[in-house]
Amino acid sequence: MADAGNKESATIGGDEFTNTELENNKNNTMVQEGSTLLRRMEISVAEAEKRTGKNTVNMQEIFTVYLIETRSIDAITEGHNPAPDSLWRRYSEFEILRNYLLVTYPFIVVPPLPEKRAEFVWHKLSADNMDPDFVERRRVGLENFLLRVASHSVLSNDKILYHFLTEEHRWKEVVYETGFQAKADSRIKALSATFRVKNPDKRFTEMKHYSDELQSLTSQLLRVRARVADRLYGVYKVHGNYGRVFSEWSALEKEMGDGLQSAGHHMDAYAASVDDILEEEEHYADQLKEYLFYAEALRAVCRKHELTQYELEMASSDLISKKQQREELATGMVRTFSFKGMTNKLFGQETPEQREAKLSLLEEQIVQGEETVTEKTVECEEYVKGAWVDMQRFKEQKDRDLREALIGYAIMQISMCKKGIQVWTNAKECFHKM
Amino acid sequence: MSAGTPKSLASSGQKPIQEICHPLGAEETAPVLTPSPDVGNTTTSIRGKDLSLPNGTPVETSSPASSSSLLNRLQLDDDLEGETRDLFVTVDDPKKHVSTMETYITYKVTTKTTRVEFDLPEYSVRRRYQDFDWLRTKLEDTQPTHLIPPLPEKFVMKGVVDRFSEEFVETRRKALDKFLKRVADHPVLSFNEHFNAFLSAKDLNKKQGLALLSKMGESVKYVTGGYKLRSRPMEFAAMGDYLDMFTQKLGTIDRIAQRIIKEQSEYQVELRVYGPVYTTWALSEAELQEPLEGVASCVASCSNALDELTQDMSEDFLPVLREYVLYIDSMKIVLKKRDNIQAEYESKLEAAAFRKEERASATQVPTDVEKCHDRVECCNADLKSDWDRWQNNKRQDFRQLLTGMADHNIQYYEKCLAAWESVIPLLRDKQPQETETDED
Repeated sequence: MADAGNKESATIGGDEFTNTELENNKNNTMVQEGSTLLRRMEISVAEAEKRTGKNTVNMQEIFTVYLIETRSIDAITEGHNPAPDSLWRRYSEFEILRNYLLVTYPFIVVPPLPEKRAEFVWHKLSADNMDPDFVERRRVGLENFLLRVASHSVLSNDKILYHFLTEEHRWKEVVYETGFQAKADSRIKALSATFRVKNPDKRFTEMKHYSDELQSLTSQLLRVRARVADRLYGVYKVHGNYGRVFSEWSALEKEMGDGLQSAGHHMDAYAASVDDILEEEEHYADQLKEYLFYAEALRAVCRKHELTQYELEMASSDLISKKQQREELATGMVRTFSFKGMTNKLFGQETPEQREAKLSLLEEQIVQGEETVTEKTVECEEYVKGAWVDMQRFKEQKDRDLREALIGYAIMQISMCKKGIQVWTNAKECFHKM
Repeated sequence: MSAGTPKSLASSGQKPIQEICHPLGAEETAPVLTPSPDVGNTTTSIRGKDLSLPNGTPVETSSPASSSSLLNRLQLDDDLEGETRDLFVTVDDPKKHVSTMETYITYKVTTKTTRVEFDLPEYSVRRRYQDFDWLRTKLEDTQPTHLIPPLPEKFVMKGVVDRFSEEFVETRRKALDKFLKRVADHPVLSFNEHFNAFLSAKDLNKKQGLALLSKMGESVKYVTGGYKLRSRPMEFAAMGDYLDMFTQKLGTIDRIAQRIIKEQSEYQVELRVYGPVYTTWALSEAELQEPLEGVASCVASCSNALDELTQDMSEDFLPVLREYVLYIDSMKIVLKKRDNIQAEYESKLEAAAFRKEERASATQVPTDVEKCHDRVECCNADLKSDWDRWQNNKRQDFRQLLTGMADHNIQYYEKCLAAWESVIPLLRDKQPQETETDED
């Protein structure tokens, strides 16, 4: 599986490197640099197993664990063939890792995990998390997640990630020690908050709009595809009835009997073939789902920009108003209406000492405010730069991956058509012999 | 006459058709061509496959492209027994007639023949359904012991089915064509004078009323007949059993075919929603726009192909299946008639034997009883040969029907295959490298 994993990583991350491409990539921070983790380490999610244990409320539960195997590439190229290091992780641990990454690298479009529960199911597919097919597809999805993260120029250098892959014990304690949980909570709040940004970066607004569309369209596509699969299943299965009736009929006939009987077998084969066809198509659905979830991640990056921009704007306007206040206080001129000003007029102004105190407080605040604004400006600029780079990378990856997915889908359809022609041609021959 | 030798009824299955002189044969015998088994001339039996045009050029019937259009229209079947044909009938060219009293459809009936029973070698007449119905009634009356092929359903509910829609007219035309062809292929029925009149007369002198009365009389007599059958010969009992079971199977196949059509229609409904989602998505994309639109158009092509498949099955498959049920019903009636003829004979024989005892002067068997006996023998012989013919036709018809079904499905998949294969280069375009990893 490790080898297939490598091959998969080659196409998913776009790491089909020729020498010329490597040269180009060195100057291009967008694409994976030579130092990503995946360059140094082979990673795969090799197996899945069921375990029983006590959960948080001390009740017995069954859950699935996945075997992560890693090997140093240097060791392999040097000719040794070491056994891989391995450890077991649950889906929930992957979730923790991802939440940590989301919070730590908010400007990165973080790869999504495979779905928590089976959705967009067509009727035959089990919505049960324990179903072996579901578990298998999840294993593939988790491996895909790790490969994507490990080939990302920024994410792959994270120590927590490395720890996750190499040390089974204490990982949870370590990750919680980073304090990401608190940031995670505020992040969620921020994502759903409503606030108005005066000068958003237009590119981010467009990208957010696009992420909404991508989400809506992939979700719609998945829903309709599931219905199409359901109907296709019906068409194929009904043909199985021909198998039975031809067989019964052939018993009545003399010369026609053999031809009918054989034709009936072909009809049975036709009906049975749809199971494999649709199982294969689930792979296509999984590819679409990945980008459905990716759309969410992309949206989050855009929203984080808005939040950062908003905070900057707030800090700026706060600074301006403080400066205004200072000016008023210093010159005695009231520029804007305020109750303070009115009461001052009515009840007499403050004492010079009071004014002095206020002024120095304001000065402090203004100094602080200016620092804040500078910080926020830098934060914003850096965020925009980092996010824009990653969004470009994401866009190219998406175009590549979805194109590959469509090609794969077309190939599946071609295979299905060829099988159909084969079966009906066989049946036709049998009919001919009747 | 003893029970063994049949009278000079052409239907006796004693002499194979091959031995009857073919008009186009090398040895031209007397122009009077009777199907009598006494004609012992040898012939060069020309099988359907080796047919040649009047000018002598051989015709390749297996590839329609090289056949003449004439033979194309006459739809030569692959004839296993090598029956010679000297009578070709076609029904086509439906036309609507509107008069003050009514609106109806007529069909052109074209005949080409070398038989001397016909004055001309070619005829072209217009007939409406009523005329076909008249013919069938006449055939039933005049050939009561034979299996007459069925007609398509007579009555259609005016509100439910459009009698003038293209599909309905075409389905009916095919069934009428089949009917005439079956009659024309029958060694006895095809020589019936009413059939001749149907094909050749300018106006049919139908005498509808009389025919109706006589039909009722015969049917009542032979179908309901007051005589009780003592024992049905095994072979006829077997026929009856077979027909019952076969009807059942046909019913099942009909239901399955209908179900498939329904499922396919629902599949198509979803496809028509599915394709446009790709188109909508394409609007939001730049590089992926063309690939997505390509996929959308593929889905649309497949949907159209599916539509054609469903239509073909509705128009070609189901009607023929249903018509066979009618055919079986006709056959069952013939079996029943036979039973009654036998029963009549048995009871008359019994009565005669009883009377003979009474009179104690056994001189001769009463002619009445003898006539009955002959009738039984004829009927049995006719039925046997008709049964064999029917079985053979059934085999050919179903071979054709099911092969047709397979063909329709193959064509459907070929259309879809072509669509998806054509989109692959479109999808692969702009790739920096050709990836072969996904090829199967």
